[in-house]
Amino acid sequence: MSLTQTSRETPLAEPSLEVRRRDLRLPLGILVAIVALSAPFLIGSYALHAIIIALIFLLPAHGLNLLVGYTGLLSLAQAAFFGIGAYTAGLLAVHYGTPFYVNLVAAGLMAGLIALPLGIPALRLRATSFVMCTLGFVIIGQAIAKNWISVTRGDMGLSSIPKPFFALGPASFTVSGTTGFYYLTLAVAVLATLAVWAIVRSPAGRNMIAIRENETLAESVGVPTWRYKLIVFMLSAVFAGVGGSIYAHYLTVVSPLTFQMYYSTTMLIIVLGGGAGTISGVVFGSLLFVGLSEALRVAPELRMIAYGFCLLILVFWFKKGFAPLLNRFWSFVGGVK
Amino acid sequence: MFSTLAEQIINGIVTGSVYAIVAVGMTMIFGVLRAINFAHGEYYMLGTFGAWFAIDYLELSYEASIVVGILATIVIAYVVGRLVMQRMVGAPAEAGVLATLGIALILQNTVILVFGGGYKFFSGGYIEPVSVLGFTLAQQRMLILVVCLLVFIGLELMVTYSRMGKSMRAVSQNIECCEVVGIDVPQVVLRTFILGAALAALSGVLTAPVNVNVYGGMGELITFKTLPIIIMGGLGNVRGTFFAAMLLGIAESLVATYIGLQFRDTVGFVTLILTLMWRPYGLFSTEARF
Repeated sequence: MSLTQTSRETPLAEPSLEVRRRDLRLPLGILVAIVALSAPFLIGSYALHAIIIALIFLLPAHGLNLLVGYTGLLSLAQAAFFGIGAYTAGLLAVHYGTPFYVNLVAAGLMAGLIALPLGIPALRLRATSFVMCTLGFVIIGQAIAKNWISVTRGDMGLSSIPKPFFALGPASFTVSGTTGFYYLTLAVAVLATLAVWAIVRSPAGRNMIAIRENETLAESVGVPTWRYKLIVFMLSAVFAGVGGSIYAHYLTVVSPLTFQMYYSTTMLIIVLGGGAGTISGVVFGSLLFVGLSEALRVAPELRMIAYGFCLLILVFWFKKGFAPLLNRFWSFVGGVK
Repeated sequence: MFSTLAEQIINGIVTGSVYAIVAVGMTMIFGVLRAINFAHGEYYMLGTFGAWFAIDYLELSYEASIVVGILATIVIAYVVGRLVMQRMVGAPAEAGVLATLGIALILQNTVILVFGGGYKFFSGGYIEPVSVLGFTLAQQRMLILVVCLLVFIGLELMVTYSRMGKSMRAVSQNIECCEVVGIDVPQVVLRTFILGAALAALSGVLTAPVNVNVYGGMGELITFKTLPIIIMGGLGNVRGTFFAAMLLGIAESLVATYIGLQFRDTVGFVTLILTLMWRPYGLFSTEARF
């Protein structure tokens, strides 16, 4: 369980006269870990499926959070990189039968590499034009996926992508079934969360926050803002690509519909609803907005309407999403008033 | 060969007119609010659905259905304007993107939920072909061209001479000063928004007989067409929007004929990205404004 940025920075409250309650953060963390590990035995397979989807969406959301929450660049391009990752993994698995971890790394690398030439022109633009440009990547990506038929098979998409398998020397192991997939996704999600945590805690993370707060000022104190923005843009694409590769292996189908505004909007809701610029908020957001709506089997239209209202509520009333609430809960657990 | 080219260019101008009427509302809203309206295409869709409803359920004529479609859109735009758009005065650009994205989701999916997601047939309009200067053109397309010209002449006059036009320009220049001299900023925002939405609805109702199909997702497609237009036209620039729309319409029509129909919908964003690399502030603005 990771601490959020703000709670780490603000020192504990002044010692009050009351007797402090016990710090329950460690026990709670262990409890959460136990619940996460034993989830397949606690809940039904459909609920488990919902959690898997939520964990998959957590990856692009983490990437978007680095971009929106820490560097202050609103991007709608996540769906494009998600789709690129899904196609890369799908094509590799279908044509070359490569093991899962190879596909995963390749998908991340491919998305990151494609983000470089896209980011160079896009990041020169200011707020509004940048948003438009990133939206353009999604639309163009969909057109390519639809029309590059010799590779992507057009609207038919790639089907029967094999279940993830691992090969180490002679031994190979295939993950099949929801339970196995749950552990696999959980492992990747935990690793990704730790990676984001490490990035944000590092000096690089500080520089990113400096760019978010005031780009000109950051530049003037010697932060190479241009390079930072480009690297974070690529990094966010890597996260999205990795998420896409798992998505492809989980659904075993990839179609041009992966390149859709719908996915970009969903990822935006996760980040902003959970709390941009916090890690626990994004984890919570993906479980709440994707997991819960998947679990409740809400009709897609109703879900979209709910997302729409969520966006309005977030913009006008909860500018920071759930993050303040989570912070308060965390301090409460920690025994701080 | 030549006549095909000329025909395609004329088709492109008609398409451009459709985009222009939608985009000009979007760009005016940007002018007063500094917010990109991601929901703008949805008013195009609402207008079309209103007209379709009037024809199919109320059995009205096409002329009456135009009025119904636009009025229905105005009512919805009034509610959205009061509840959402007026709050966005002075809000950061990101807030505008997110709030209007939310409205787009709500409007689009409510319509799909109520009327179903399938394609509906729009019966009505003037589809008899007429010959002008050796070209055959459906009456409806002629109508679109004429209406587009009238709309832009009207807007140009309104923005230059009328009280509302002047206050719109004032708001787009400096909101604080407007408040000082007694311009009711929220009122101007609301009126501009309703005007823009009504124009989008008008465009939708006029195009429906040409497109024939009516469906819930049509607004999103139009939004994606008009977003590149307003940015290329220089945000908030009415004349620039007109020319950018024509340019895109013609480009789309030529791409559809000579390269392939399936690439038509990407023309806008490809052009936009290329334009922005060359002139980051749009084609028709001399300086970076936003």
